[in-house]
Amino acid sequence: MGAAQACQLPAGVRLESERLALSYRTIPARIAVGEHFALELAVCPKPGAAAPEHVKLDAHMPEHRHGMNYRPNLVPVTPQAAGRYRSEGWLFHMPGRWEFVFELGGERLADSVRIE
Amino acid sequence: MLALAAGVAAAPPVAGTLEFTGPEVRAILRHGPWPLPWTPDPSNRASGAPQAIELGERLFFEPRLSASGKVLCATCHAPFRGWQDSRARAFGLVEVERNTPSLLNVRYQRWFGWDGAGDSLWAQSIRPILDPREMGGSQRQAAALVRGDAELACRFEKVFGAPLPADDEAVVVGVGKALAAFQESLVTGRTPFDDFRDALVRSDFSSMKNYPSAAQRGLRIFIGKGNCSVCHFGPNFSNGEFHDTGVPFFAAGGVDPGRHGGIRRLRSNRFNLMGTYNDDQTGSSAVKSKHVSLEHRNFGEFKVPSLRNVALTAPYMHNGSLATLADVVRHYSELSPDRLHSEGEVLLLKPLRLSVQESADLVAFLESVTEREGALSPRRPATPCKP
Repeated sequence: MGAAQACQLPAGVRLESERLALSYRTIPARIAVGEHFALELAVCPKPGAAAPEHVKLDAHMPEHRHGMNYRPNLVPVTPQAAGRYRSEGWLFHMPGRWEFVFELGGERLADSVRIE
Repeated sequence: MLALAAGVAAAPPVAGTLEFTGPEVRAILRHGPWPLPWTPDPSNRASGAPQAIELGERLFFEPRLSASGKVLCATCHAPFRGWQDSRARAFGLVEVERNTPSLLNVRYQRWFGWDGAGDSLWAQSIRPILDPREMGGSQRQAAALVRGDAELACRFEKVFGAPLPADDEAVVVGVGKALAAFQESLVTGRTPFDDFRDALVRSDFSSMKNYPSAAQRGLRIFIGKGNCSVCHFGPNFSNGEFHDTGVPFFAAGGVDPGRHGGIRRLRSNRFNLMGTYNDDQTGSSAVKSKHVSLEHRNFGEFKVPSLRNVALTAPYMHNGSLATLADVVRHYSELSPDRLHSEGEVLLLKPLRLSVQESADLVAFLESVTEREGALSPRRPATPCKP
């Protein structure tokens, strides 16, 4: 069984690099300004690639050049579910464009969302 | 329901109203509806309970909580002054560095105090009682007061459904929770802006015309070139967070660290939501306190105040340095970017360079988010408590 078959990405926003694919979703799905939310993340290495040694998440507003006022945690869902994480403590305090940033080993993936 | 149904529908031209674009309508709608639905504070089991509100009201006007026996919560948070004191800087037992914030709509805040050192309204209510410069009381004094006053003791036991605790600290926490329950009841009514906003939702053009033209023009500045609504966001006109707005943070004897000091005090406060007195068994109310990040840029940041009833709560800013709404508008119009110490703030806060007419229009808008009838009057329970 190859790595790609063993590692299934759940439904969510999908992002890919040469070596990795990830999916994420926020809980609740709709992010509201000033409301805390959580994030679920799944990371799969592509065939022949290794899983990232470390995973780091953050978000910022590129146009404003500031980040959040909160530092979310990142916890593996279970030891058995490799590459699955849950993150608590997110809050976007302004309307506008925010960018999620996923640092996966040496790779960086980003996704923009507009919050009203 | 034209505007809501279409989501971003522009307001068509009508005599007496500005022609707001779709994005402008969307931005206006974010500031309502008002009032917001009631939700209890999960960290406070007394939240919303009528008996707790009555007890809290008595304690709010109780001078025996202070060391001198002369200072009460209402000394600074005077009901007839929009629940603040109209002074530049608060004066309890002595004068302090900061302006007294209004308590109107305080229940909708995420953090409490100009620096957000309080993560619950009940913890924030304990702070001035014990602060040597404000009321100068002690846990022992407050607990003795409640135990020794039959009326207070009876009400306390009714609210919390148990005999008075032997532990002074537990009594003080109960005092804080009752005070919070009372302050949660201080919610402002509807304003001319709310009527306009809801008329916009209904496409009720004849009602929209009742909103003064100057306020409409000021509203356009507020959500547009003024960039005000980025921070003064939502129905309560505050995003609940902290910013450096170029107001000097030098204070007598040093500097006011603002949010930086607030986060440090939050973390060392035994009454914070991560402690044992939080009644929320789910832990969700403590998420903000667990995850708030202490950054160097927090130095000199202060909380974004609500603008509801703002015309009743002069003077303004964390140190009360601006006497009128016109002064506040002038501050943002002539702001010097050199005074801002974070790159993000420099990008957000540019001097608005408003004309005389634009400044007057923005003031007219701010006055329109003030209710016509004034704040709620305190309700004094008349019937004695029966054990």
